[in-house]
Amino acid sequence: MADIKQSGQMARSRRLASNTVRRPRGHWASQFRKSLGSWVFLLPALIFFVGYQVYPIFRVLWMSFTDYQALTNEPANWVGLDNYKAAMSDPLMWSSLGRAALFTLMFLPGTIILPLLLAILVDRVKNPWLATVYRVVLIIPAVIPSTLVFVLWKWMYNFQSGPINHFLVETTGLFTLQNAPQWLGGTALTLPSIAIMEIWWGLGYHTIFFLAGLAMISKDLPEAARIDGASEWKVFWHITLPGLAPIMMILVILRFGTAMAVIDEYLIFGGFNRASPTYTWTVFMYEQAFKIGLWRQGFAAAIGMIGAAAMMCVMLVLLRIFRPKG
Amino acid sequence: MTIRKEQEYILQEAARQQLLQGSIDRREFLTRSLVTGLGLAGVGTIAKFGISPAFAQDRPLTPTFYQWIQNLHPGIPAFNEQFPDVNYQIAPVEGFGIERFVAEAKDKESTWDVYVGQTPFVEMSAMIAADVIEPWDDYIPKDVLDDIIPSIREEGTINGKLYGWPFLLDVIGNSWHSGITTKAGLADKAPETWDEHLANAKAIVESQAAPYGATFDNHGWRCIAPMAHSMSSDTYTPEGLFNFESDAAVEALMLMKKIMALSQPDILLEGGSDGGVNGTVDELAFAAQRVGYITKYFNAPLRMAAYWDDPKALHLGPLPKFSNGEGSTVFWTTGCALFKHGKNKEKAAEYIKALTYDAQIWKDSIAGTDLGRPGHLPPYKSIYAGWEADKPDWMADFVPLVRGQLDRAKAITNHLFGLQQFVIGKPLWETYLKGEESDPRAAMKRVTEAVQAEINRG
Amino acid sequence: MSVDVFQRRPAAARPKRSWFVRNKSAIFSHSIINFFLLIILLPLTWVLMMSVKSMPDAMRGNFWPRKFDFTHYAYVLQKIETLPVNLFNSIYVTAATVLLTTLFAALAGYALVHLRPRFSGILVAALLISLYFPTRVVSIISVYEIQSFLGLINSTAGLILPYITLNLAISILIMRSVFQLVPHEVIEAAKVDGAGNWRTLWTIALPMARNGLVVVLVVNFVTAWGEFLLGATLTNDQSARTMPVVLAGAQGGLGQWTWPNLAAVYVIVVAPGLIAFTFVQKLFFKGMNEGVGKG
Repeated sequence: MADIKQSGQMARSRRLASNTVRRPRGHWASQFRKSLGSWVFLLPALIFFVGYQVYPIFRVLWMSFTDYQALTNEPANWVGLDNYKAAMSDPLMWSSLGRAALFTLMFLPGTIILPLLLAILVDRVKNPWLATVYRVVLIIPAVIPSTLVFVLWKWMYNFQSGPINHFLVETTGLFTLQNAPQWLGGTALTLPSIAIMEIWWGLGYHTIFFLAGLAMISKDLPEAARIDGASEWKVFWHITLPGLAPIMMILVILRFGTAMAVIDEYLIFGGFNRASPTYTWTVFMYEQAFKIGLWRQGFAAAIGMIGAAAMMCVMLVLLRIFRPKG
Repeated sequence: MTIRKEQEYILQEAARQQLLQGSIDRREFLTRSLVTGLGLAGVGTIAKFGISPAFAQDRPLTPTFYQWIQNLHPGIPAFNEQFPDVNYQIAPVEGFGIERFVAEAKDKESTWDVYVGQTPFVEMSAMIAADVIEPWDDYIPKDVLDDIIPSIREEGTINGKLYGWPFLLDVIGNSWHSGITTKAGLADKAPETWDEHLANAKAIVESQAAPYGATFDNHGWRCIAPMAHSMSSDTYTPEGLFNFESDAAVEALMLMKKIMALSQPDILLEGGSDGGVNGTVDELAFAAQRVGYITKYFNAPLRMAAYWDDPKALHLGPLPKFSNGEGSTVFWTTGCALFKHGKNKEKAAEYIKALTYDAQIWKDSIAGTDLGRPGHLPPYKSIYAGWEADKPDWMADFVPLVRGQLDRAKAITNHLFGLQQFVIGKPLWETYLKGEESDPRAAMKRVTEAVQAEINRG
Repeated sequence: MSVDVFQRRPAAARPKRSWFVRNKSAIFSHSIINFFLLIILLPLTWVLMMSVKSMPDAMRGNFWPRKFDFTHYAYVLQKIETLPVNLFNSIYVTAATVLLTTLFAALAGYALVHLRPRFSGILVAALLISLYFPTRVVSIISVYEIQSFLGLINSTAGLILPYITLNLAISILIMRSVFQLVPHEVIEAAKVDGAGNWRTLWTIALPMARNGLVVVLVVNFVTAWGEFLLGATLTNDQSARTMPVVLAGAQGGLGQWTWPNLAAVYVIVVAPGLIAFTFVQKLFFKGMNEGVGKG
């Protein structure tokens, strides 16, 4: 971080110098023009970011310190940390957070490693026609809307008429109609089933990410290393992988965030059954905010904040791991 | 802000009407919608198009229906042709509309005038608490009010006021696949008692007529509540919660465990259903023709039989009784709620009256069309009396049967936790069904405690 | 100039060996790729089969039906009237979202790296933090308030505004890291030559950041194309809705939405996207095949 800042300052001073050379005007005016110019570039993004992202977060933060109930018209009262205390002392908070973490553990490695492997293989395909076909097929799941992906996998996993169980019972006879695996709906298999669905969904999409990253790595370096007698594995470990680190960081961070905060899939495949592994903190929050009693959104907001805080801690660790070396 | 919204709405609506009448083309409509959507800047532009008189008009009656209602009753758009100025709207998925209703009610406004899709025990108490809806009493004609079957009228009433104008009636009953029962050597008639039901289910499994004998829907309001009612419908606490520790409830739980032994193994799972509403595990087993009996509201087996090789093999019957029970069951209606901050309230009553009495909708529902056969029944005494006096040739046997049950059936008592108590309790009573807890009463005690704990949070 | 590992093997120099031995590694890697492609395609083929199965076959797990029924396509096209409108809505909302987000992200990413205004560090930190914040669910009420204030409830075009934000933070961060690969010297040189910020971005920086642009396009397309929660909450008219919202209402399999009908709609919805994609894929992947170093 520090060296980036430094080079930035250097660039700024250089730019300043060139500006002064080009348009010899008053120092103050030039400074003003410059910063105005850069803020014009930032403004559109800033408006949306603040309006639809920052403001809602602060509104939720405010809610978490009040006894706001959506179904009543009574004004919200400031209750300090009461909601947080109540949530922290609720075993559901911790078990539901643990379930989300468990899902993330099942999902994250698969959704990074498989596409990485696939991208390295596809990147080396030299036949341009084949390379194109591979890429197009890979991207197919990504253009399928989420609801359709859920419909598809509901069919796949269906206990009575899904092809997976049909294969296990009728085709191979490994199971009977009494003991065939029960994939969805809150069994121990449900989280892995959803993880497989998500990995399938993201497989090609993430491969494309890594392909973009591989395209950015200079081809000369691995070639030189190979000529020097470096093994394929060494090339991968010392050149390809570090080169992909920025993309990998983005992907890990992005998918960690989505995996911990999954909700639609859980609502669709597990409902509000508190014994189900799909009852995670997001479902807990959603149930409190929109389903139960008077919709105590103050309490729900506290659950959300605790979940978010827990995610932040892990993020800091991840950022440290992926910190640019040297 | 309110004015802005109204203006935008009226502009949009005017453009839409013009599109329908063919006075503007689709592209212009989109341009206008886009401009309207972009806010105030667009108002000036739109005014040039000469639809400013639209401002003077009040908005038309605007009801919102759930998508599934139209899916089950595709005749509704045709019915709407009798009311050309009604702005009929659809909410996509159950539950997703209610946040909107609540958020709008806080601003003392409502985009819609009538909500068709309210199930009293599920949401009516919450809608009243949130000041979203108001009673129909000032708008519903007296003769209509008196025509509602008494138990249904009671279901829609809170504190003596009718908040839910009933529309589609669902009753929990027992249905069977006669292809499977015949193969198992059983007579083609509804089992009268639960013992008979269990014996028949056992015969199916043992004769291998089907892999599974009987099934039920694992959601409490569709299994434990109706089964308890078949013993005694007096299973509610004074504050209106289901009494999980009553004898009837405990008997029902023990019955469920007995049925489970003859059922598909995933009976307790949520399956791949959309939040437990449709496509539940019991429905799928029934649709796949792998189970003989299903205990559920009738539109489920009617829909599932469409997947069979011979849909006519479906037979419907009443809920079996306990030998010492009163033989009641559970029913609910999906009805209409009147938005407190909506408009056109007299017009709304006129529309809902016509809708709920529409002969074509009821005929399609009972006899079925090429678009399906929902099996929903009407809530009015006079309609059944008319059919009895002059039986239509499309009449189905299950209609008089259900009508007969209605005199004894009871709705789940309205409460803020009317639905949620079953959601909270499900994993706890299932500890008994799964064998983790051997004492059914102990399991039920924990259900009561968990529900109470959730209520005390507030 | 790309180096191919398969050619590097000494085996390539000895043509006498059999074809299989020479291409062992290529066969191996192509088999792995094809195995994964099969995993991607099999479930989709299942849907295709489902759309031509008879009703009883739809409830059986067999891949090949006992009896075909090709009427489902005609049925959904005739009986589900709003289908084309919803499809059109999805297309234009997605297109607008993707274009605007990419534009905003490119502008912001460029400014953060090469203009470096004051407080940009704070902004980057805020963007990063926002990635971890599960705003989507809790903020529904808040977003609804904003849309209602702007008068954009039930406006299909109005969906574009919250949609832009869905991936804005990650898009800016991607563009930022891509612009970081463009040397400051190049930008400075352009400026010394008298190019303004806009021209520098448009003619120098953006072409060099093509890879990142493609990634941003893909990310935004995927999110906007499949968005459900906001679409369901912010629109009321069936004709104002996008495809995912309509289909979510259908997945229960009620009435006319029997499984084969649903599968037919599935194919109708997914096919145009795929066909359109195969037409633009050349442009799409071109950016990736060209190394940054070439610029």
